[in-house]
Amino acid sequence: MSFFGFDPSSNPNSRSHPSTAPGFGAAPDHFAGLSLRPGNDDEDGIDFEDTYDGLGDGLDETDDALNDDTFGDGGAPVGKDFDFAGSTARVAEVLEEEHEIFERNRKPAHKPIIPTVGPTHKTTTTEHQHIPSLAPDMSLWAEPSVPAPQQNRQPQYSAPEHVQNDFPTQAPRAPPSKKFMSLEEVEAEILAQGRQQAHSAQQQLHHVPMPGMQPVQLPPHIPVTQPLGQFHHQGPAHTPSPGAHQQFATPPQEHQNFLMHQLPPHMQHMLQQNQNMLPQHLQAAVHERMLQQQLQEQIRMQPREPLQQQPLPQPQVQPPMARIAQEERAKLLEEESKRLKRNHKIAQLARYNGLMTPQDKNFIQRIQLQQLVSIGNTDDNTAEDFYYIVHSAIRARANPQQPLSQLAQTYLFRNGGRNNGRRDNHMQRMEQQVARAVAAAKAHPKASQLVLEGSLGKISFSNVKTPRPMLNIKRLDSDQKHLAHKSYANADRKTLLAIVETVYDVLLEVEVHERERSKIPPPNPNAPPSEAAQEWEAKRVELADRLYEEMRVLEPIDPASRTRHPFIAILSFGKMKRAIPRIFRHLNPEQRVTILTMIVVHLDVLDVVRHGVYPPGANQLPSAVREEVDMFANNVLPPLLSYVYEAPLSIVVGLLGLLLERVDVILISKTKIGIAFLTMFFSRAELLKQSGRSDEKELQDWQNVYNRFFDMLQGHWMDCFPPSGRFVEDQYVWQFLASMAVGANEIQQRELVGAVKDRVMENVQASKVLPPEIGVQKRENVNLFMRAMGLDVELLG
Amino acid sequence: MLFFSFFKTLVDHEVTIELKNDLKITGILKSVDQFLNIKLDEIRVVEEGKYPHLSAVKNVFIRGSVVRYVHLPANAVDTALLEDATRREAANVAGKAR
Repeated sequence: MSFFGFDPSSNPNSRSHPSTAPGFGAAPDHFAGLSLRPGNDDEDGIDFEDTYDGLGDGLDETDDALNDDTFGDGGAPVGKDFDFAGSTARVAEVLEEEHEIFERNRKPAHKPIIPTVGPTHKTTTTEHQHIPSLAPDMSLWAEPSVPAPQQNRQPQYSAPEHVQNDFPTQAPRAPPSKKFMSLEEVEAEILAQGRQQAHSAQQQLHHVPMPGMQPVQLPPHIPVTQPLGQFHHQGPAHTPSPGAHQQFATPPQEHQNFLMHQLPPHMQHMLQQNQNMLPQHLQAAVHERMLQQQLQEQIRMQPREPLQQQPLPQPQVQPPMARIAQEERAKLLEEESKRLKRNHKIAQLARYNGLMTPQDKNFIQRIQLQQLVSIGNTDDNTAEDFYYIVHSAIRARANPQQPLSQLAQTYLFRNGGRNNGRRDNHMQRMEQQVARAVAAAKAHPKASQLVLEGSLGKISFSNVKTPRPMLNIKRLDSDQKHLAHKSYANADRKTLLAIVETVYDVLLEVEVHERERSKIPPPNPNAPPSEAAQEWEAKRVELADRLYEEMRVLEPIDPASRTRHPFIAILSFGKMKRAIPRIFRHLNPEQRVTILTMIVVHLDVLDVVRHGVYPPGANQLPSAVREEVDMFANNVLPPLLSYVYEAPLSIVVGLLGLLLERVDVILISKTKIGIAFLTMFFSRAELLKQSGRSDEKELQDWQNVYNRFFDMLQGHWMDCFPPSGRFVEDQYVWQFLASMAVGANEIQQRELVGAVKDRVMENVQASKVLPPEIGVQKRENVNLFMRAMGLDVELLG
Repeated sequence: MLFFSFFKTLVDHEVTIELKNDLKITGILKSVDQFLNIKLDEIRVVEEGKYPHLSAVKNVFIRGSVVRYVHLPANAVDTALLEDATRREAANVAGKAR
């Protein structure tokens, strides 16, 4: 019944190659394995664990899960439509017969043209003399020099197409035809075409399949004329051979009959009903296919020679042919120009379609998953990506309006994506794979290092987090312990710095723990704290205690020794000063007051006080000292200040008592930091005194301490000021004097004014000469002091 | 991962990358990966006269291994935080080495 062993009437399921399965020229469906078997995960060979480690080794040679992609549905019997040589051989006889008949009929007209052809033509004609055996005659396809198998297949496909189709094809090579048509043949053909042209042109308008809807590489779309559609080969290699095309340009009757055998029953029926209509029907159908193909070829080979330049064997025929073709094409192009443009884009995008097999893609996917797993291991994200996370958090806090763009993309995407309802099957599968990959990665943690026996170092394997292998020098653990238990009596700089670093380490731990509070559900005020909250609090207290301990605040004070207390020693480092405000947040009030006491007791040995005294004759402190002083004032003082401003009078009095006993008050009164401490205590005490809530005993104590202080500083008031100069910053001194003056009795006030009178006058004079802003500032500073005693600068004139 | 983490915060800031072949490229940092490969946008070469062939190039992908220096925008760097991150990194490495 069928020409190629193709049985159109049989059950479609038993066909050799189902039309839904990808063909040879079709782009592979990369997800074919996934989408066809949604419920059958384990058979499709992309299970991650199967090949998780050592990707190549894991490939299963016997695994035939993806055979479907390659060979179509495994259930159907293998067809024979790939057996081109065999199929051709079967019909070779018929073809030859037709050929001979044709030759005999046309011989007279054929002869005169022969001489105009090249020498190859001779072989063609001589071959026509004998009737060859079952082997297909190469000359039929006018490509005698090309090896058989591949060429065989082309004509096999194109022959039916070209039965009546003389539409000029856009063969890229377009060799001059070796089998010539006679003039009559050509004329007849043109006439026939002319008649059909109107018809087919109409057909085109309605039936040209939308190329824009159909990317080049898609499997051939099957129109109503299905069998023809199947013969239509769409691969880019397909260039219909002009020889064959002309061979069958005006098919003899036999051929038409023969052709009918290929058609499906309904077509045959139709043909028998209206034999005359056959050429037109077929032509229309073929024409349609040709146009489609032509469009696509134009897309692919735009720079190639235009249609009308196609060499045709008969020059006198060319103008009408070309004109028709051109008109047609112009019309088409006009209509399809937009679609063509889009098609061109798609074609360019699709140029590399099918370069990778599904297996390749799986392989790449696995590698990418592996990377994802190692990056997205949320457990050590805070450890690995600390800077980014905290930096983004700080920035987000700085301007809450700004969306969490970057951070969200990096860290929240996975969670955010979960709720997205639009995810399709692939995404779901992908997520499953990621989940499994993560599980697998956790199940077999990779050894990241290799320690060779007797070697000094370790060899690290590279991974995603540490791309570059490095050599780690083994460190003895005893080093650390040795450091920790050293006596501080003569601690050197290195030891002190090590202590600061341990303080920082613990501080960071505390802060990380603090951040974890957000993971605990917010406490319900009515219910007792949950177990998690209790645990968290216990851990926090433990860490805070450790932090406190690491600061060595509780090291015994030995007044006799000349070495500094370790806490004071480490406080001389800038980075310890910077850590104080952060540390203070985690300490309880008792620990805070201990630290404050510690600093007060050692105030005269603090680096910022010892170095903060102006050397005789110098107008300025060395810049390094100034820096340290500023750092102390900006970092250490504020937390202490905020503590003192809430402290009860007893503590203030106690601290001042300690100062008087243990510290060289004259010395500290010469420095900015010392005066800052004094100002802090005196102003707090004065506030408490004026609030009137303190009892008599405390007030009495306070008055005693105050008087002792005043007497001690008597005669040294002027030393509090930095060396005089126009632009000198002495506000803090005026503040101190003001805080002293508020609590002073009349005699003390008079003494105070008498002592600093010169300085007051100097400042008032200077404020008149200096530019307004600085002048006003200077005036205000002095006024601060004057007002504390109920006076005003204005009174001085 | 500290450097990766750090450079991620500089995305959308202008940086100057100095390559091992002495080429200096200024541009907006678009992306960075764990190999410290770098994508720059709106680039300009510092000594344009010396590399005229690069004057038409608008964006580049730089392989991490050919970078010598990255000049950072100072105001985009949180030094204190970077110190802490460095401490953490050191602690991580020490923890792994043990």
